[in-house]
Amino acid sequence: MASTVIIQLIVSGALMGLVYALIAYGFQLTYSTSKSINFGQGELVMLSAFFSLTLIDAGLPYWLVVPGGLLFGALLGLFVERAAVRLALEQKGEGWILLTVIFGLLGFSAAENIWGRDDRPFPTPISAEPLHFFGIAVTPLEISVAIGVLAIMGLVELFKRKTLLGKAFEAVAADRDAAELMGVSATRIIMLSYALSGLVAAMAGILVAPITTVGPTMASALILKAFSVAVVAGLDSGFGVVVVGLLLGALESLASFYIGSGWREAPGLILLIMALALRPNGVFGKASIRKV
Amino acid sequence: MLLVENLHAGYGASEVLAGVSLQVKQGSVVALIGANGAGKTTTMRSISGMLKPSQGRVLLDGQPVQGYTAARIARLGLAHAPEGRKVFGPLSVEDNLLLGAYGRLPAFFGFRSQAAQDLARIYELFPRLRERSQQAAGTLSGGEQQMLAIGRALMAKPKVMLLDEPSMGLAPVIVQEVFRIITRLKEAGITLLLVEQFARSALEVADYVYVMEHGKIAVEGLPSEMHKNQRVLQAYLG
Amino acid sequence: MSALMWKRFLLIRGAELATFATLAAIPLFVSSSYALGLLTLLAIYGILLIGLDVSVGYLGQVNLGQAAFLGLGAYAAGLSVSLLGWGLPAALVASALTGLIIGALLALPALRLEGPQFALATLSFGALTVTVLNEWEGLTGGAQGLQLDRPPLLGIRLDAPAFYWLCMLFLALVWMLMRNLLSSHWGRSFEALRDSPIATDAMGVGTYRHKVAAFAIGSALGSFAGGLYAFNFQYLQPHSFVYELMVILLLGVVLGGRKSLWGAFVGAALIVLLPNLLSNRMLFQVFSALGLLMAVLAGVRGLLNKTTRPFQALAPIVAMGSLVVGGLLVANTEDWRKAIFALMLFSVVVGLPEGLMGFVTPLLSRLLRMAPPALPAPAALDEVLATRQVHGELLLELRNLKRYFGGVKAVDDVSMCVCAGHIHGLIGPNGSGKSTAVNVISGLYAPSGGAMLLHGKALPQGSLYRAARAGIARTFQNLQLFGELSALDNVMVALKGVYRMPLPLLLLGFARREEKRAQAEALALLQLVGLTQQARARARDLTYGAQRFLEIARALACKPELLILDEPAAGLAQPDVAQLIEIIRRIHQRGITIILIEHHMDVVSELCNVVTVLDGGKIIAQGSAAEVKRHPQVIAAYLGVAPAEAEHAQP
Repeated sequence: MASTVIIQLIVSGALMGLVYALIAYGFQLTYSTSKSINFGQGELVMLSAFFSLTLIDAGLPYWLVVPGGLLFGALLGLFVERAAVRLALEQKGEGWILLTVIFGLLGFSAAENIWGRDDRPFPTPISAEPLHFFGIAVTPLEISVAIGVLAIMGLVELFKRKTLLGKAFEAVAADRDAAELMGVSATRIIMLSYALSGLVAAMAGILVAPITTVGPTMASALILKAFSVAVVAGLDSGFGVVVVGLLLGALESLASFYIGSGWREAPGLILLIMALALRPNGVFGKASIRKV
Repeated sequence: MLLVENLHAGYGASEVLAGVSLQVKQGSVVALIGANGAGKTTTMRSISGMLKPSQGRVLLDGQPVQGYTAARIARLGLAHAPEGRKVFGPLSVEDNLLLGAYGRLPAFFGFRSQAAQDLARIYELFPRLRERSQQAAGTLSGGEQQMLAIGRALMAKPKVMLLDEPSMGLAPVIVQEVFRIITRLKEAGITLLLVEQFARSALEVADYVYVMEHGKIAVEGLPSEMHKNQRVLQAYLG
Repeated sequence: MSALMWKRFLLIRGAELATFATLAAIPLFVSSSYALGLLTLLAIYGILLIGLDVSVGYLGQVNLGQAAFLGLGAYAAGLSVSLLGWGLPAALVASALTGLIIGALLALPALRLEGPQFALATLSFGALTVTVLNEWEGLTGGAQGLQLDRPPLLGIRLDAPAFYWLCMLFLALVWMLMRNLLSSHWGRSFEALRDSPIATDAMGVGTYRHKVAAFAIGSALGSFAGGLYAFNFQYLQPHSFVYELMVILLLGVVLGGRKSLWGAFVGAALIVLLPNLLSNRMLFQVFSALGLLMAVLAGVRGLLNKTTRPFQALAPIVAMGSLVVGGLLVANTEDWRKAIFALMLFSVVVGLPEGLMGFVTPLLSRLLRMAPPALPAPAALDEVLATRQVHGELLLELRNLKRYFGGVKAVDDVSMCVCAGHIHGLIGPNGSGKSTAVNVISGLYAPSGGAMLLHGKALPQGSLYRAARAGIARTFQNLQLFGELSALDNVMVALKGVYRMPLPLLLLGFARREEKRAQAEALALLQLVGLTQQARARARDLTYGAQRFLEIARALACKPELLILDEPAAGLAQPDVAQLIEIIRRIHQRGITIILIEHHMDVVSELCNVVTVLDGGKIIAQGSAAEVKRHPQVIAAYLGVAPAEAEHAQP
């Protein structure tokens, strides 16, 4: 039953792809307000997962662990904004690229030394026993990932579209100076976007941790694929990330099955370089007008 | 309502404003005219906080605001409709207007109902905007964008409104329309500081006029006096 | 050469010679194979960092792919030897070529990218490379690693000192070649690209080929260093070339100091010494205490002089402080290796963005009272800008030109002719479409419709570079100078028809005469606009008026047929305006056709043969300055009456 195998591969790959989409969405949040992204976002995912694991070890119930982890992620996002991004943005430079890379490395090293280099399982109340639909096996765990991703993205989008503060986000993205003239403090909006981005990263970490286990390197592969998704979809397009994420997840699950498990990373990277070459603003992105 | 004293400002090493002083009384329309490059727009930018003045004072309703961020000054009741209109292109016309009232509306819920009445008033003033309320602002024509920029500034219910070159880049028919609107704003008692290149038309709506030259106020007075001033006549009124 | 020049020459070359002589002599006195190994690595990393500095320093792009090029070069050399049985020279050539070709291929897409996208592309390339090296087990041996032997060179077996000498020889060679390249028009163009890609294009210096060339050269050096790396360790593993190495390499460039060969050398020394530093706790504590001291001194000085923001002063102190505290608390500093790199790099990026050499060099040249190199006498202006014979024939024709932005018709059906040898004024109120029109003519924007003809032939559309090549030069309303370059260099970047030396000869240092010639020509143009005295000043330090004039001189360096001046008098004080008029006259006398956008009516009336008036994107009047001044619609649009009144005023 070759077709069942293929569908199975596509479905489980696509579910994983949603996680890439979620992390990529975190890039879009900050990029839209400040034209900057956190190159150490993967470490935010990983650190939040570790922190949540610590909360579980401390005996906290699951429904407290999740908000705790999210809050931690948001705080890390704020820290990155303050320490690595703000100065560079004030100087209108691109120093934030290097600085966020640096903070990623710092976070990685801290995790290695605080929580150890080994991968640890992440307990969850949700079952990993597969359910079968038309011969396709899907675990409740995977379904929870899908629901979690779509729920948090939906909530953030709702916030952006339906509240005035959310509209202020878009105003800052469209024209920072004009937004300031409306009384919108761009600095605060950028801070908030980094906090939200950190929160989204933490959510990704908590969702994916039961599947990948928790370790310092848990996010290093994830993050590359999230970069690919963000760039391919366009750093300013809302739901493009979901489409591209699903696609990439499916593609790499097929690649790892048919070519070899080590080649899992290849489709994303190749897709990324191709997208950059052919459509630097992303498939769903808009072309910008050069100004003098 | 707005008092500017000895304002100095510039970009980098070059000083554009060399001590500008002016005042706008409540309910009056004040025009700021002068050649291009004289520093009119820079004056506006320094008042609204888009540019940090290096020296001097700006008093809004008696409160010193120089050195504050633009966002803070805006929340204190100064609305600046900038040169080039600067509407939020990807956002809808209605969202643009709502953002104009950002400082006085709740951030999360209920802002729509609270703003409904003000929105209706703006739409009454600019019926074209009502027709296009759900359209992206970037797709409007230049004239419509200017209406939107003015409407957006009005949404703030400002103490003072700065209007920078509202006729810039517009077709002649539309320019007349803009001046009609300014007249209506004046009738409605809006306190207005207006920068305009159509000096003669600006003089007609203004209660008081300042003429800028090389970063300073060169001449000031009532519009009727301007018509008698040889220097101004020659330079700006053809 | 004057005595001062000799002093400068001897000091700079002397320092280089003394350094390399000392390095070469070391194996004669030191027999420790460990020390020799470190020094060999110093040479290899030196070459690598000189390459990385091309993209990070000169192009100003964050390049996260250099570690991958080191790996690619290493494997290329390793496989040439172990699989193909090639000799050492062939293997090294293969490794350099690998980097050159793959670097160029990667740069082709990446040249369209800026900032974060470029960083992402190189980051992904790095990750992809490690994946391929790991997974292509049939070729590379995968994670098992690749064993290789160091082949003899010309029949001589290379022992450790011999190989060390070889590496040092290569470093010296690379140093020399790159010094020649980077001090030539190539290096200047790289830097110009960083400051303003738009202006680089508009001056007819192809952004395209320079960016590709710069990146390919940097990558080639990286992979060449990889070849040496392979023969140094004789064992390769994909794992050695991962992300962490990349961060360390960046640390080397940034800490050493960008845009400096010495900086790369110092950075390489640091990278080599770091592991030793970390393994010795005592040494680490001393080092971090020194770092803290420096951070405090620099921070306090910056705050007192008000040159830095509080964050810039405090953050490095906090970072270095935590290194000191951490050094006392943590038993094994090795474990925290990455965090230590991170904190050091953070402190340098924030607190000492110019790097060590950027800090030391001005200090040294003040201390030694070094004079900057002397400039040649300006060339005769006739040799630089030959006078064109023009007879008022048709030069540029616009037919129904349109350009829309969303719903805004910025240029709406404009047709006009510009005659050779004229000064053609383009006036109109703010936002009337003048700037958009010249942006379309000069290729910044592609037209939405209509045709443009130069000498009756279609003008390239939507490409600044090709329009510039066709003979159109321009200045910008909002200045687009190469801010970090000197006034002289700004003009030299744009200079056309001087740089003829083929690249190989240029690398060997045969372009000196050409360079002098370029300087002389550029000085002649600076003289034309009255900036001879400021030739050495950085463009961004010039006064506003001087910057405007510099843009004109730079545009003239393209030796254009048609010169577009976009509001050259905007923001100028009265005496400067008078000088500007004089400059435009002189340019006009050389037969250069000029399109002049201007608001100052007196300037327009004094200079222009023909004036076109735009309003709302359309032409409303055309004629001599006196004619258009009388035109009622112009009076309405330009001189200050709203249209309604103007219609009344019309007879």
